[in-house]
Amino acid sequence: MTYKILVVDDEPDLEPLVLQRMRRHIRRGRYEFVFAHNGIEALEELEADPSIDMVVSDINMPRMDGLTLLEQIPNVSPDIRAIIVSAYGDMENIRTAMNRGAFDFVTKPVDFDDLQFTIDRTLEHIEQWREALSTRDKLVALQNELDVASKMQQSILPTVFPSGPTYKIFGTMHPAKDVGGDFFDIVRLADDKVGLAIADVSDKGVPAALFMMSSRTLLKGSAIGTEAPGDVLTEVNNLLNEDETTGMFVTMLYAVYDPATGVFTYASGGHDPPLVVRADGTSELKPLTGGIALGVLGGFEYRQDSFELAPGDTVCLYTDGVTEATNQQGELMGIEGIQELFASAPPTGAEQSCMGMLNRVLEYTGDAPQHDDITCLTLHRD
Amino acid sequence: MAISAEREGGTVVAKADGRIDGSNASEFQADLQAVIEDSDQALILDFESVSYISSAGLRVLLLTAKTLEGNGAKLALCSLSEPIREVFRISGFDNIIPIHDSQAEATAAISG
Repeated sequence: MTYKILVVDDEPDLEPLVLQRMRRHIRRGRYEFVFAHNGIEALEELEADPSIDMVVSDINMPRMDGLTLLEQIPNVSPDIRAIIVSAYGDMENIRTAMNRGAFDFVTKPVDFDDLQFTIDRTLEHIEQWREALSTRDKLVALQNELDVASKMQQSILPTVFPSGPTYKIFGTMHPAKDVGGDFFDIVRLADDKVGLAIADVSDKGVPAALFMMSSRTLLKGSAIGTEAPGDVLTEVNNLLNEDETTGMFVTMLYAVYDPATGVFTYASGGHDPPLVVRADGTSELKPLTGGIALGVLGGFEYRQDSFELAPGDTVCLYTDGVTEATNQQGELMGIEGIQELFASAPPTGAEQSCMGMLNRVLEYTGDAPQHDDITCLTLHRD
Repeated sequence: MAISAEREGGTVVAKADGRIDGSNASEFQADLQAVIEDSDQALILDFESVSYISSAGLRVLLLTAKTLEGNGAKLALCSLSEPIREVFRISGFDNIIPIHDSQAEATAAISG
């Protein structure tokens, strides 16, 4: 990389001297020099040529001196660094120059080895400065991307929850700081049945958000056309596996509730099992159905299982942001934390039990960093 | 999270430790890729010292399994603690990645 250095001095002999003494570095392509003879010319040059990396300037010059130039440089090129050349022992000007933002100084008569060393040190600083700037830009870009992902995620969550004369549903998602991949959905089906899905995409950021969108769309389409939850997951999984392969996958539990019979039929694709809580606060984890996360293995046949809800029962669905909630000592809460909560404060409704779960998790984690979204979805049979 | 690997014939045995989550999954992926060579027939991952694996970590295992499969090679896991074993059971990943109790069992299964 060639660095372009602007030398500002009213002394006409300086230009050939610099070119001669720095010739090896010029030949090697490390430095390129441009010249100006006072502060005004220097500012014009900086404005005309944004590729200039640094300035070496004398102090005493006609029209505009070096100290004034130093004040003006940030207005033209904020990232430029300057070295001041001053008379030997002129501490007053040197101090003024440093106060006005000069990076370093050399004294006259100019020792060219010293000048070269000082130039290199300045360029090194400029490199580090640029690197810091680009890291900051990247962080800003990443933050923008995460904002987009986060908005996509929020936009697909239902805000109105279907209910029937004998049941209510409530869901909530508390996003992680760095955007996870949780979502839930509720689908009204034929014969007053209702479908509930809760899911967690394996990755973060925009690609995960897109994967989340397509998983959710596929699920919705499939849920409306297909009755059995196992068949729904089989279909969604096959569709997700058509697009090879980012290694992205989604764990999903899909269930159909029939208010006429109280039967809750569910299939899990690599997702945590449902927790059923009775009116007295006792609870029971239902068995897994042996399914693998969706998007991993095309052709997999998902099985389903079912149980009957008694009046007063609540089904709790959740993501691993609940079970893997970690306190400040680094201990996982596990589903036991939720079971203890309901043992001491039995659920009385969908919203109350859903928010109770979320608050229990937030209490447990305290100020520990939250790495994962926390999502809870509950159905309460009145 | 750190990885150390030993080679025995065409089988690489790699040990991971600590937490494998979103913050270090790409590092985990790069480490695994670095220990696999084209000529390898199998990778055994010893998870004895792994305390936690998130879905981002599972995704790396899935990608690694697919890479190995493409080379006609196998992936197996061994020595999982009970909570980690549970993660594989719930996610269903034990359907696609064989899990063994010990390194010796994994080696026997792969060569057998």
